[in-house]
Amino acid sequence: MVRNGARRKSGKSDCPTARGRGVQLGISDEEQGYDLDLFCIPKHYVNDLERVYIPHGLILDRTERLAREIMCDMGGHHIVALCVLKGGYKFFADLLDYIKALNRNSDRSIPMTVDFIRLKSYCNDQSTGEIKVIGGDDLSTLTGKNVLIVEDIIDTGKTMKTLLQLLKRYNPKMVKVASLLVKRTPRSVGYRPDFVGFEVPDKFVVGYALDYNEYFRDLNHICVISESGKEKYKA
Amino acid sequence: MTHRCGGKDGRIVIEDDWPGYSLDLFTYPEHYCGDLQSVYIPHGVIMDRTERLARNIMDDLGDHDIVILCVLKGGYKFCADLVEFIKALSRNSRKSLPMRVDFIRLKSYLNDQSTASLHIVGEEDLSFLRGKNVLIVEAIVDTGKTMKALLKHVEAFEPKMVKVAGLLVKRVSSGVGSFPDYVGFEIPNRFVVGYALDYNERFRDLHHICVISEQGKTKYKI
Repeated sequence: MVRNGARRKSGKSDCPTARGRGVQLGISDEEQGYDLDLFCIPKHYVNDLERVYIPHGLILDRTERLAREIMCDMGGHHIVALCVLKGGYKFFADLLDYIKALNRNSDRSIPMTVDFIRLKSYCNDQSTGEIKVIGGDDLSTLTGKNVLIVEDIIDTGKTMKTLLQLLKRYNPKMVKVASLLVKRTPRSVGYRPDFVGFEVPDKFVVGYALDYNEYFRDLNHICVISESGKEKYKA
Repeated sequence: MTHRCGGKDGRIVIEDDWPGYSLDLFTYPEHYCGDLQSVYIPHGVIMDRTERLARNIMDDLGDHDIVILCVLKGGYKFCADLVEFIKALSRNSRKSLPMRVDFIRLKSYLNDQSTASLHIVGEEDLSFLRGKNVLIVEAIVDTGKTMKALLKHVEAFEPKMVKVAGLLVKRVSSGVGSFPDYVGFEIPNRFVVGYALDYNERFRDLHHICVISEQGKTKYKI
């Protein structure tokens, strides 16, 4: 696997982790992933997957580091952690667990409240990028707070851009986005989240709460789906 | 703490006079200093008990497709951890439990009192449950009224089967009881927080289940 992606300009330099911020783990186009037999896979998915792309333990280790960077950047003021369902929920749960571990083991501690939202596109035509937020608390609870949006994957970036515009209207103090994966795709509108786990090629990946027609959310590694898997679980 | 003898219908019973552990024996976030009285159920014990519930669920439902219905927001930690344990069993044993996870948001507490009405926030259409085996995952069953109302709502969509897993069940004298099929701990009628259980949205970011102090109740009152 390739290790470092582009190093972006980091902000605060007083925090010990500042020198690492903005670095993301880039996975090259040529990366094949691991043979399924090298890991444990649920019996019911054994024929539906091609390769293990990002092992679960690696996801956790990377997430642990993101938690520290988030603490550095956003610590000192109440955070509202906003989970984008359904894909975001595993990453959200694990990320928050690491932040909580930091909170109870250091001198700095951020009070956090949580909320869960679902995003629905207004119509099937994806080019409009219009979205509707369902299920969260009244968004006015975000006013004056540091908001951390937690998402599983950023593809073109249109949805996130639209969500950010929407949230701006409620005057949060700060809004940052943590995404486990960011796709390297020519269809990107150029949006980059503040905290990125892995930068990946434009492959269709499943697992760790990323689904294919609602399947594979219960797989803990991020994997590449097989042709037979695609057929089997077709809508 | 005392425990009733094991087996899949068992539950860990916490007696009325259990005061909890001193806060000084564990770690917790600095920002809750003064707001907690004691550690009622340490995180590690919650995890170990949840691991066993996963096995019980697997024994009962293994090899059947299930839809997990997570009751937000309080159920999110228990659901995430329970699903993790079931997944671990799925990839390491002969049985395997194909699971889909979905979420429903209920509102039923004001300060520390449970209200009777079922208030579903967001999507109410549960037609994706039709013909499926459903496992409702809830953090706490108090009077049982909310769970009863939720079951009624779910059953209207004609699932094949519905089971309920509750991490905590309160021992309440009113006995409206719709006892979950899988119970982590049976507890007295105390208001507990932590492990995603809140008091007016606070304390969800605490990993042990704790008893809130009077100072905490006043501080975060609405």
